[in-house]
Amino acid sequence: MRKFIAILVCKLGRAVGKLIGKGSSMPGQAALKICPDILQRVKLPKHIIAVTGSNGKTSTVEMIAAILRAGGMSVVYNEEGSNQIEGVATLVLTHATLGGEVRADVLLIESDERYAARTFQFFHPTEFVITNLYRDQLTRNGHPEWVYDAILPAIHPETKLILNADDPLSGCFARGREKVKWFGLDRCSVSMDSPDGVYHDGAYCPVCRAPMEYDYVHYNHIGAYRCTKCGHRKPRTDYTVTAVDLDASTLTIDGEVTVKLAFRSIYNIYNILAAYAACRECGVPGEAAAGVLSGYLLKNGRMQTFRLGAHHGTLLTSKHENSIAYDTNLRYIAGTEKDCVVLVIVDAVSRKYFTSETSWLWDIDFDRLNVPHVKRVVLAGRYCNDLAERFSFTELDNWSAEPDIAAAASELKANGDEELFVVTCFSDRDKILSRVEKEA
Amino acid sequence: MEMRIIHFYPDLMNLYGSRANVLALERYLKGLGCAVTVEAVAPGGEADLGRGDFFYMGAGTERAARAAMEDFARFGSGLKAAAQDGATMLFAGTAMELLGKTVTEADGSAYDGVGLASFTAKHGKRRIVEDVYGRTSLYPEAVVGFINKCGVVSGVETPLLSEVDLGFGNERERGPEGFHWKNVFASQLTGPLLVKNPKLLETVAAAIYARRGETLPVERPEDPWAEKAYTVTEEQLRLRAQGSHAFV
Repeated sequence: MRKFIAILVCKLGRAVGKLIGKGSSMPGQAALKICPDILQRVKLPKHIIAVTGSNGKTSTVEMIAAILRAGGMSVVYNEEGSNQIEGVATLVLTHATLGGEVRADVLLIESDERYAARTFQFFHPTEFVITNLYRDQLTRNGHPEWVYDAILPAIHPETKLILNADDPLSGCFARGREKVKWFGLDRCSVSMDSPDGVYHDGAYCPVCRAPMEYDYVHYNHIGAYRCTKCGHRKPRTDYTVTAVDLDASTLTIDGEVTVKLAFRSIYNIYNILAAYAACRECGVPGEAAAGVLSGYLLKNGRMQTFRLGAHHGTLLTSKHENSIAYDTNLRYIAGTEKDCVVLVIVDAVSRKYFTSETSWLWDIDFDRLNVPHVKRVVLAGRYCNDLAERFSFTELDNWSAEPDIAAAASELKANGDEELFVVTCFSDRDKILSRVEKEA
Repeated sequence: MEMRIIHFYPDLMNLYGSRANVLALERYLKGLGCAVTVEAVAPGGEADLGRGDFFYMGAGTERAARAAMEDFARFGSGLKAAAQDGATMLFAGTAMELLGKTVTEADGSAYDGVGLASFTAKHGKRRIVEDVYGRTSLYPEAVVGFINKCGVVSGVETPLLSEVDLGFGNERERGPEGFHWKNVFASQLTGPLLVKNPKLLETVAAAIYARRGETLPVERPEDPWAEKAYTVTEEQLRLRAQGSHAFV
């Protein structure tokens, strides 16, 4: 009876919530109050795929959903991104019958990395994709090993792990387990010989702390690592990007299927591969998955572009407090060829909580912009002085700071016609997008 | 003057932009006309503590700090002798705990610090992450920063921040934070606290000079960006601190 009431309350709450535009975690919260083990009592689909990690959760989940749906499977997933237990309860119960059966082929869950253990105490994923684990939102998350320790209890012995073979930390989840599938990149056109960036989280083995060595690297410390002492190393991959052709904007998986990319960037390659691996594990043929991915990326993989005065602009959304997201976008800019101006905005460090913490700026390798075609850099927003202080320790000298984003936009609008790259976070991007002419 | 900065474990204890403290001090000392050498010490590497003007270790994960301590133990007696002699040092984030007597981890296992100070650290399951606004007896301006740790430090008699208006101190919310004795500076405020607090940078440089029997020159390097950044953050956190007090 409690189960029935909990489901009913959740469904009603969700219907009302949608009408008044309220968030999606309240109904689930109410249901969990009425019946705390409700998630254990419902009948879930055969495949429960969970995705967690520091970067790429949302795009990986969206690609998995697109591939599975194109293959005729019914997929239920948290499209609104409410990824803690309450949001998952809302998702599951609103898609359940009043008898408590979720009628879908796949339940797909984007899970907050710190709260996965709470969610999965009542049921466990059949496939658990962990995209990567590195410095992200440390003002909430502490540090990557703290997050590792939080995820570990969420992994049920029967769950099949789908792991990034090139990430030395999240690779540790495989220790002592047999049901593991690995995805990774072979040495290819985007590889480097050794880790780059201003800090080296791959310097020491996460298992034994002995020095690590790398055969090749794809970005920062993500690559073919090898502990010099304990045997922790990049494992043999089950799903592999074997070639990347940036000029043709294609990547090749397992030497046989080709995926078309939307633009010239290594950005998203790991997410694409993770989605591919998860779908293959659910029985989707490789060609079919690659076909859907190509179409999906051409439609959704483009960046926001706009005009500001005579500048043609591109928004490179980079999560604040995530140096690897920034580094990836700075690397993208360095890899372009036309003369450009770069606008970096740090105004609200987070859209969800208050903090004045800017130490993450010191983890970003802004010297990547020290290339001839970057003509100047404008630093804007409340924390532009912190950015300026950081820039004063780079080799760059063609930068200026302006706290007022509107003033920075006006100045750019009035001057120059170079390409414009805006590097900022979800929390700050509308402060510039509201002042430009967006392109379709 | 020739100055030697000894930076312990820059690749192991490198969280939260910790390296920026060394960059800022190096630039400041050079601005004063010093010739500065920065010596990075990796685990197993050598360091001549007798010839150091400034010793530094930044924040690491709890596991990294324990690994660092396994190597750092051999420097314990040299470091204590240097501190007694008035050497300047900064231990930031988890590195502060290594100066104490013991560190007890969340699983109950414990290991010894170098015992330069008599405090002890005890880790728990809760992550303490928040902005900090406090005061030191060393100068009138407020100290700003961010705390990111998982436990308490007990037994500090001479804290670096004697008053904390916002955030968690050594043992409790709005309690004293850090450790200061002679020219030993330690704080669990993470990241570039010498960048965020220009006055603390000057104070540390003055301590280094004092050991050489010198005072800081009247003409000092200016860093308007750091000053402006401090002004913005100080205001943000002061308003925050006042707001939270209104609810108490």
